[in-house]
Amino acid sequence: MPLHLVVPATLSDARAATEKVMDLCGRFDPEDRARYGTAVMEWLVNVVKHSYHHAQGALITIRASAGLESIELMVEDTGVGMPPWKFDAAPAEVRFDAADLANLPESGMGLAIIKSVMDSVHYRSDGGINRLTALRRWQR
Amino acid sequence: MLLEDVPEGDCLVVSLREKRLDAVIAASFKEALVQRIEQGQRNIVLDMSEVSFMDSSGLGAVVSVMKHLGHKGRLHICGVTPGVMAVLKLTRMDRVLKTFASRQAAIAA
Repeated sequence: MPLHLVVPATLSDARAATEKVMDLCGRFDPEDRARYGTAVMEWLVNVVKHSYHHAQGALITIRASAGLESIELMVEDTGVGMPPWKFDAAPAEVRFDAADLANLPESGMGLAIIKSVMDSVHYRSDGGINRLTALRRWQR
Repeated sequence: MLLEDVPEGDCLVVSLREKRLDAVIAASFKEALVQRIEQGQRNIVLDMSEVSFMDSSGLGAVVSVMKHLGHKGRLHICGVTPGVMAVLKLTRMDRVLKTFASRQAAIAA
């Protein structure tokens, strides 16, 4: 069954929504399921923190459907969003110098995680609606 | 958030009694560990055997704890579940964070 959720934009609701999406991920092995769930959580947390700035009463719409070959995800919000060019410009891997302890990243890894986990991911911000769509195949 | 401390020699073993180390608890987790460091604890073993899910906020908190210890202390991690290891590998933080197969190995290292 496809999943359709409209949830308050809070971190705890982001966690609960991520768990519901992960319930659709039975075709993944445990590690892929964890990676996929992390990517979903990254985007929902991004919406809560950076698009809505924790605004009370804000809502996030989440749709997910598991098909024979892949799982598709769509997340919408009506917060400030981010410029699509910024999303597109984000690297698809977490970059750092492992020998440079003081400058290891503590944040800012979310977009790289999303891009590296998903097989395709698109972000649009039009008419006051910010929409992320992503597809991940069960088998790579 | 529930943490359990068990002193083992010159180490403090801190067990995170949560299924998820994520954005919901990352800040309080970091604060609790940094508090232990500021109280003088330099050798910390973090037991994550009950944690099956970690996001980048949780990972960032662990990295922050390691950075707080700097070169004067050590953070060893044990009980890494497949879900947590998947994220460590995904972010390549498995090259930086010191993980061990068992609590005893983490204490002894």
